[in-house]
Amino acid sequence: MLKRWRIRILLFLAVLGPGFITANIDNDSGGIFTYSNAGAQFGYTLLWTMIPITVALLVVQEMCARMGAITGKGLSDLIREEFGLRMTFLLMLLLVIVNFGNVMTEFIGIAGSMQLFHVSKYVSVPASALLIWLLVVKGDYKGVEKVFLAASVFYIAYIITGVLSQPSWHQATVATITLPRGSIWHSKSYIYNIVAVIGTTISPWMQFYLQSSIVEKGVTAKSYPASRLDVVIGSFFTNIVAWFIVVACAATLFAHGMGAIQEAADAAEAMKPLAGRYAFLLFAVGLFNASLFAASILPLSTAYTVCEGLGLQSGLDGGFKDAPVFYWLYTLLVAGGAIAVLFVPNTRLISMVILSQVLNGVLLPLVIVFMLLLINRKDLMGEYVNSRWFNAVAWLTAAVVIVLSLVMMFTGGAG
Amino acid sequence: MREKHSTHASLTLLLGTLITNQQGRVQGRLKDVAVATGPAAGKVAGLLLKTQDGPRLVAVKDVLQTPAGTLELREDAVLQPLRGDENLLLLQQDVMDRQIIDVHGRKVVRVNDVDLQWFAQNGHEELRVSEVAVGLRGAVRRLLKGVMPRHSLESFAMRFRASIIPWEFVDLIEVDPARRVKLKIEHARLAHMHPSDLADILEDLPQQERDAIFVSLDEGVAAEALEEVDPRLQKSLLESLDSGRVADIVEEMDPGAAADLLAELSDERSEAILGEMNPEERHEVEELLEFREDSAAGRMTTDFVQVASTVSVADAVRALREFDGDAEAVTVIFLTGHDDVLEGVVPLSRLILALGETRIAVLSEPRVISCHAEAHQDEVAELFDKYNLHSLPVVDSANRLVGVVQADDVIAFLRARQ
Repeated sequence: MLKRWRIRILLFLAVLGPGFITANIDNDSGGIFTYSNAGAQFGYTLLWTMIPITVALLVVQEMCARMGAITGKGLSDLIREEFGLRMTFLLMLLLVIVNFGNVMTEFIGIAGSMQLFHVSKYVSVPASALLIWLLVVKGDYKGVEKVFLAASVFYIAYIITGVLSQPSWHQATVATITLPRGSIWHSKSYIYNIVAVIGTTISPWMQFYLQSSIVEKGVTAKSYPASRLDVVIGSFFTNIVAWFIVVACAATLFAHGMGAIQEAADAAEAMKPLAGRYAFLLFAVGLFNASLFAASILPLSTAYTVCEGLGLQSGLDGGFKDAPVFYWLYTLLVAGGAIAVLFVPNTRLISMVILSQVLNGVLLPLVIVFMLLLINRKDLMGEYVNSRWFNAVAWLTAAVVIVLSLVMMFTGGAG
Repeated sequence: MREKHSTHASLTLLLGTLITNQQGRVQGRLKDVAVATGPAAGKVAGLLLKTQDGPRLVAVKDVLQTPAGTLELREDAVLQPLRGDENLLLLQQDVMDRQIIDVHGRKVVRVNDVDLQWFAQNGHEELRVSEVAVGLRGAVRRLLKGVMPRHSLESFAMRFRASIIPWEFVDLIEVDPARRVKLKIEHARLAHMHPSDLADILEDLPQQERDAIFVSLDEGVAAEALEEVDPRLQKSLLESLDSGRVADIVEEMDPGAAADLLAELSDERSEAILGEMNPEERHEVEELLEFREDSAAGRMTTDFVQVASTVSVADAVRALREFDGDAEAVTVIFLTGHDDVLEGVVPLSRLILALGETRIAVLSEPRVISCHAEAHQDEVAELFDKYNLHSLPVVDSANRLVGVVQADDVIAFLRARQ
C-alpha cells in the first residue's frame, strides 16, 4: 500500500515541469502583495475571484503549452513570423519595460522580507542580485529546473500560514463559491482590487516563458498530454496558494481592522502579534523565496524572449562575445532592478512600478489576442487548433482581461 | 548593347509602391515579389500587385521605374489573375521574418529584409534578389518605414552595420513537403557541410523545420549528422520517419553509434528498424546491443581494419583500400592470428614508411594494449590517458578481437558526464 503511494507520488512529481514552475512564479512579490492586500482590505469578499481566475489561467497557459509542443517555436518566434518585425519590436519594448518594473518589485520583496529578519537591504539586495546573476552564468537548464521545482515546494509555507491564522473555514468556503452582495460593488477600491488580482495572476511574460520552456524541454505532440497535466496542476496549486494568502490576511489583518498595506512584507510584520511567530516566519520566508525565485527567472526569460523575437543570438553557451544583446539585457535588468531599489527614493519607485503596470495593461490584451489568432491557424496547429467550446472560453477570458486591463489603466491614470 | 546599369532596392522600401498606368492612373500597390527557384534561382519571376479586382501578377519586363519612385506599367503589360497553383516563392510571405540557413556562415538566422537589384538592359527592366539582410540595418529599415521619408530613411539606415547573406548562400526551409518539391527546395548544399555543423543547425531549428531538413538529406549525410546530434534530438528526428528509411540511415552509421541510437529507442521501434536492415549490418549492430552501454564493448565500434599477422605490408595496404567503413577514422591496423586472436597493432605511419614486401608482423608495437569487452568505461578512459592512445582494441575472454574504442568516443562520454 505504502509502496503504491510512493509510486503514485513519484509519477506525479515526474510530470511537474515548466507548467508548474511558471504558474508558481506567478505568486511573486507583486502577487503576494496583491493577495495580502485583498485579504487585509476586504476580508473574504474577494475569494470568489479565485475559481474564475484558475479557469482563466488554465486556459491561457494550456494554449501556450500546446502551441509550444505542436509548433516547436516560442511565442515571440511565432509572433515575429506571423505578425512581422514592427509588431514584435513594439511588444518586446513593452515587455522589457513591464518586466523591469516586475524585477524592481521582486527586489522590493527581497529587501522587505530580509528586513523582517533585520538584514539591511544594502546587504540582501546586492547579494541576491549576484547570486541570480551567477546562477545563469554557471547553471544549465536541467539543473536550474530542479532548483526551481524545489523552490516551488516552499510555497506550501503559505498554506500552513493560512491554517495557523485560524480562519473561519465556513465563511471562507461560502465566500469562494458565492458573490458578495450589497454596497461593496460601489466601492471603487474593491473593483480596483478585482482588476489587480486578475492582472497579477495572468501576466504577459508568463506566456512567453512557458512556451519557450516547453520548446526547450523538447515536448512534442505525442508527449503533450503530460505537459497539459503539468499546466493543470500548476494552475490549481498556484491559486490554492493564493487563496490561502487571502485567507491568512483576512483572518488576521482584516479581522483586526488594519486595512490596506504598503508592501508585502507589511503583512508578515502585522501577522506576528495576531497569528504568532510561526505564521510570521513562514510568511516572511515564503516572500523571500518567491521574490528570489521570480527575480531569477524574469530577467532571463525577458532576455530570451527579446532575442528570439528579434532574431538575435541568445542562449547561455556562448558568453558576452557571442550573444552580446542577450547578456547585456540580462545584466542590465538584474543590476538595474537592484540599483533602483537601493538608491531611488520610495515614492519615485512606486510611480515607476505603477507605470509598468499600466503598460502591462496594454501588453496583456495584445499578447492574448495574438495567441488566440495563432492557435486557431490550421496551417500552424493542424488538428490541434482550439475546439469550439475552448475558443468560447478563451475569447471570453480575453474579453474580460482586456476590459479589466482598460479599467486598470483608466483608474490607474485617474489615481 | 548598352552598358548594364544597376540600382539597389530593399524589399521593405519596395513593398507598397504605387503602380500606375501610362496615363498616370493608379492601378494598385506592390504586395509581394515572386522569385524563381531551381536553375534560374534569384531571378524575380513577377510582381504581385494588390488591385481593386484582387491580386494580379505582372512580369518585371512590363514595368518601368519612374523618377517619382513609383512603378509604371507598359502599354502592353498583362495583369494576370492568380490561379493559386503558380508555385511561386514569395519574398514577403515565405522569406521575410523566417528562419533560413546561412550555408556559408553555417548557422540559422532570421531574415530582416531582402535586398534586390534592378538591372536596366536593352531598355528592359530586370530585377534580381542579391542578398538577405539579417543585421541591424535591415531591422532599422523595417521599423522606421513610413515614419521617415524614404530618402532620409535610406541614408539613416546606412549608418547601421549591415549583416548580409548573398542569395546563393541562403537555404530556405519549407515545412510542407508538397510545396518543397514544387519549389525545388533541395538542401543539396547542406551535404557539403561538416556533419558537426549540420548537427548544430538541426539543433537550432524548431521541430517541423528540423524534420523538413532531415528528410531531404541523403542517407549518408543524414547518418553522419545523426551521429553528431544530441541523443534526445536523435529520437525526435527519427520519430517522423518510417522504419525502412531509418534502417537505410542506420546502415550508413558507424555500428557503435548505431547501437547507441537503437538502445535509446523503444524495443518495438528498434526491432522494426533492425528488421529492415541488411543482414550483415544488422548482425553487427545486434551484437553491440547485447553489451552494457557503460562497458568497453558498449563504447566500441566494429568498424576496423584487421589482417592476418602473416601477410606482407602490401597486402595490408590492399586491405585498407578495400575497407568499407569510415577510412578517416582508421589510425592503426590490427594483426590477428588463428580464430581472430589479437596479436599486434601497426600504426599507419609505420605502414607507409615500410617496404611493400616486409612482413607486417615485424612492424607491430612490442606491447599490445587492449581491454576486455566487459571492462568499465572509466577503465577505458584510464588506459587512454596512461598510454596516450588514439584507439584501443577490445577483446573477449579468449583474447579474440571484437572491436575498437576510438579517442573521440572517450571524449564524448567524458564530456557527457560533466
